[in-house]
Parts: sequence; C-alpha cells; structure tokens
Amino acid sequence: MKIRVVQRHGTALKDRLYLPAIWQGLKITATHLLKNVGDIKSVDVLEYPEEQPSDITNRYRGLHRLTHREDGSVRCVACYMCATACPAGCIFIEAAERTDGVDEKMPSRFAIDTLECVFCGYCVEACPCDAIRMDTGIFSLIGSRREDFVLEKEQLLAHKGAFDE
Amino acid sequence: MIEIFVNDQSLHVNEGVLLIEALIQNRIDIPYFCYHEALGMDGNCRMCMVGIEGQKRPQIACDTIVKAGMRVHTTGERIEDVRRRILELELVNHPVDCPICDQAGECKLQDFYMDYGLYDSAVSKGEKVHGAKHVDLGANVMLDQERCVLCARCTRFTCNITKTHELGIIGRGDHARISTMPGRKLSNPYAMNVVDLCPVGALTSKDFRFAQRVWFLSSTPSVCHSCAKGCNIFIDHNAPKYQKERIYRFRPRRNDAVNGHFICDAGRLSYKSLNDHRLTCNNPDAMDRAKALIQAAHNIALLVDANLYCEQLDALVAFAQRIGAQLYCPNQCYYDEGFGDEWLRRPWRAANLAHINTLGITQSTPSEAHDLIISFNHPDLSSLTCKHKIAFSTHEGVEADVVLALRSWAEEAGTLINITA
Ligand code: SF4
Ligand code: SF4
Ligand code: SF4
Ligand code: SF4
Ligand code: FES
Repeated sequence: MKIRVVQRHGTALKDRLYLPAIWQGLKITATHLLKNVGDIKSVDVLEYPEEQPSDITNRYRGLHRLTHREDGSVRCVACYMCATACPAGCIFIEAAERTDGVDEKMPSRFAIDTLECVFCGYCVEACPCDAIRMDTGIFSLIGSRREDFVLEKEQLLAHKGAFDE
Repeated sequence: MIEIFVNDQSLHVNEGVLLIEALIQNRIDIPYFCYHEALGMDGNCRMCMVGIEGQKRPQIACDTIVKAGMRVHTTGERIEDVRRRILELELVNHPVDCPICDQAGECKLQDFYMDYGLYDSAVSKGEKVHGAKHVDLGANVMLDQERCVLCARCTRFTCNITKTHELGIIGRGDHARISTMPGRKLSNPYAMNVVDLCPVGALTSKDFRFAQRVWFLSSTPSVCHSCAKGCNIFIDHNAPKYQKERIYRFRPRRNDAVNGHFICDAGRLSYKSLNDHRLTCNNPDAMDRAKALIQAAHNIALLVDANLYCEQLDALVAFAQRIGAQLYCPNQCYYDEGFGDEWLRRPWRAANLAHINTLGITQSTPSEAHDLIISFNHPDLSSLTCKHKIAFSTHEGVEADVVLALRSWAEEAGTLINITA
C-alpha cells in the first residue's frame, strides 16, 4: 500500500487557535437569528405533508434505482464497486453467471439497507456502468418492519428516474 | 559475490544470476509478465526493460546476466517512456473489463497501468480484435482469450513442469491465443496452478468464479492438511456483513524446501470441507455427561486424528496418562495409494503422521476389550464398535453417546511435521 503524506493546512497562529474561526461561525448564526426574530413572517415554512416540496432538482439524492440497458435488461454487472465505496457497508450483492449472452456477470441479489444508508451518493460515483442512480426524487419510504427498508433488486429496478437523462 | 549498481545504489549479488532475479531479491520495483521464479525467463513480454550504461538501447532484465560493476537504471524518463509504450502494446486488444474480471485487485496489468501507464488509449473498443471469453478449459480453469498477454507462463507450466502439454499458443499476431488441442481438455492434478501463474485475468478459477472480490479477503499463512507433504498455503477468508466467516480459497505459499510455488488441485479445493456441515455448539450438559462416562469406564481407548497439531497430540498424551487410557491412531483410513505421485502428492492423506510415529502411538484398531472410546476427530470412529463413545468432532454427523465441538485446523495454530520422502 502506498501512503501519501498531505501537508496540514493553516499553520499560522490564527488558524491554530481556532477561536477566530469559531467566532466567525457564531457571527453568521447570530445575524440570522436576529434577522428572523425581527421579521418572523419572512421565514419559509413548508406545511408538510399536505404541502409537498417543489424544489427537488436533478441533483437531489433520493432513493436509489438500478438502471436498464437499451434492451431492458439489468445494467449492473455485480462488480462490487459501489459496495466497496459505500461507507455504511449497506449494499449487499451476490454475483452470478449471466447466461443470456449480453454479458458475463450479473447480480443474483442486489439489496440496499436504506436504514443504514447515509445517502452520500458514493455508490453512484463509484459505478463504472452507470447502473445505479439516486435520481428518483423519492425522499420518503414508509414501512412497519425493519425488513421493509431493505430494498431488493426488483424494487430498485422498478424505481423510475424522475428527471430527463 | 559481485557488486552492481542499480539507480546508483550498490548491491552485492551472486555471480551468474539474472539481473531480474537480483532486482526482485533486492525489492527494486521492476514490472514483468513472462518471467517467473519457477519457470525461468522467456523474454517475450518486454516489460522488464532497464537502462544499462554502455548499451545503446534499453535491455530486458530477464535475459541479462549480472556483470561486476554493471550500472543499471530502472527509473528515468527514457525507460519509463519505453515501459509505457510496451504496456500500451500489451493492452491494444485487451477488453478492459475489470468490473467483471475476478483478477481485478491482484492483476499485473492494473498495477502496471497505475504505476507506469496512465496514457490515453489510441484504440477504441470497436477496433479491438475479439477472442473467446469464458472458455471452460477443464480442471476448473476458465480462459478469457481477450485478456491474455501471451506471456506463455501457462504453456511453460504444462510443458516444463507437469509435462502434460495440454496448453499451447495458436495463431499469429493479433490472432494469437491460448488454446488446448482440439478435443482435449486441460487435465492434470496440478492444473489449477496456471490460475495463480497467469499474471492477468485470462485464466481464472471456476471454483472461485464471482464468489468474492479479492480485496475483501484476508490471507492467513497455513499448511495444507490433505496429505503428508504439508504444502504451504495461504487461507483466503472473509466474513461478509451479517454472515459467518468463510474460507473462499487456498493459494500456494512459496516454500522452496517443501512445495516451491505450487500445490495440487485436491489440496487447493480441500477448503470446502472446512466451511460446511460444521459442528459449532455443544449441548449444555455434554461436558457433564462425558465426565460421568469417563469416571464409570474401566478400560478407555483414546483415538486421535493424525491431522492434529503436535501441541494438541502432546496434550492428549498427557490426558491419556491422567485418565489411564490407551492411545490409538488407526492409520488405514489415511492411506490412498492412488493419490501419491512423483512430485508433491503423498499417499498418506494426513498432515501429522510423522508426529504420531514419534510419539509411538499404536496405529492399529483398538482391541474389543475397551468399554469406552474417546475420539478426537478420528475419521474412522463410525466403523468401530464399543459400548460407549465420546466424540470430539469438527463436523456434524458423528454417532456417539456424547458429541462435543472441536475447532478445525484452520482455526488453531500449531506445529506439523511433514513426510517429504
Ligand atoms: S448512498 Fe452512500 S451509504 Fe447509501 S448505499 Fe450509496 S454509498 Fe452506501
Ligand atoms: S451498481 Fe454499478 S458499481 Fe454496483 S455492482 Fe452494479 S455495476 Fe458495480
Ligand atoms: S493465459 Fe495467462 S499465463 Fe497464459 S499466456 Fe495468457 S496471460 Fe500468460
Ligand atoms: S500435495 Fe498434499 S499437502 Fe500439497 S497441496 Fe496437495 S494434498 Fe495438500
Ligand atoms: S519478464 Fe523480461 S521479457 Fe518478460
């Protein structure tokens, strides 16, 4: 394994004291607090769930989906890149031989435990095949048992993208 | 001993060795595909280029004998440029399908590309010459012709080492590829070694196929227990999240005094028995019942497995004295005449028979006079009849009055004495 030594940033006395930085942060908080208390009407409030958010953009990381190839088959090749990158270790893959001639390898199981997921999007970044995306715009998942939150391959394949490609 | 200089650093090396050997022994980074310490040089991959002072062009380190005072450079702009171009040539027709390749993570092409490559490919995917993917060569070996770098390690193994000549390179230029003779399969008791020899993902194990990504595995050095030879191995294991620890494969571990770089296929696949049908817990009253049986018995036979470690056997000798039992290790069940051969495999299929001999343990079946047999994982307990039996066992399915779980050899540390003759 190769180790790269990274130089520490900010070696001046001002940086090492931390206090100026803390003071700057507190100043911003205090400014907002005073402004909002002064004019309470101007604070944005969404009356969820009667009112649904309208500002979900295509960069929003919603629930995952597994994408399809042009012929409708699963794009994922069970390479485990997403599972390797996942900081929560919540992607469970079992690989199998693919026999339809499209490719060699596919997932026989692909599950994401959304209770463990931290929605960081690293899996999407890591995928070499554009097989997993978080562009469904789905931000709430309801279930009554823990198992309901473990999304299996079929569910992930059924999720639709909410935005144009 | 002579002195040579590599990157201006002085090295003392044996006279007559290949430059590449000297570099490898001194842990100086040198990329290579076709050279292998067990197979020798072949000089076909050209990856091991170095600069030698006084020579006009870069030379291959695997076909250069060291000379006293030789000044060698393995770094520098010129040599790195040569390497990059050779690597680019090796990868011209390579499919770059690392996501579905089992070799990813331990592949020389990946390593060298990251260390010396990092060029932009001039060949698009559509222009590449394709070969057959997933060809089942036989003997659990899968071939992907597109990934091959034609280093000829596999063919040299079947020609020079097993002398079975199953593999060859057919075709020329872009169409050169590894193949077996028409109608013939790869078939010899050491065939799976070509999977370890192959520096890329062209030859992979059918048994390990898609089972795990290699970077999840931890390796523990150990010794094969499938025969008396005691080949040195690595146990590659992993406990996937929420699952029990499993062994995924055995790989040979170099030991020039025992097995060199290789192991036999039977030994390699023997990991399977360590995963399945394991006895893992005891009945809560098992220990008490065993004690009561031992106290009530008059004439005890203690049966020991010849795969136990020396330390375990020594402790069992002391235990036998303590309870006044007689020690036995019936050995006929370990003998398999057909398994032995001229190279590694020995007909005695147990790892520590030498220590059983040293301890002078009786190697015949216990006499009928015993009223209790206590077995420590002996494989042949079921064929013996006795009034009472206590079985310490690593696996399920043993018939006895009391059965107690035992750790397998892979879960214990200890000493073994092999039989090399
Ligand atoms: S979003 Fe992050 S935590 Fe969730 S599955 Fe992907 S990599 Fe893991
Ligand atoms: S989703 Fe992408 S990264 Fe994850 S296993 Fe499938 S192909 Fe690999
Ligand atoms: S199959 Fe592997 S070992 Fe054989 S020539 Fe090709 S790259 Fe070398
Ligand atoms: S020769 Fe014997 S010790 Fe060596 S790998 Fe084969 S079975 Fe194991
Ligand atoms: S290792 Fe020297 S040419 Fe292949």
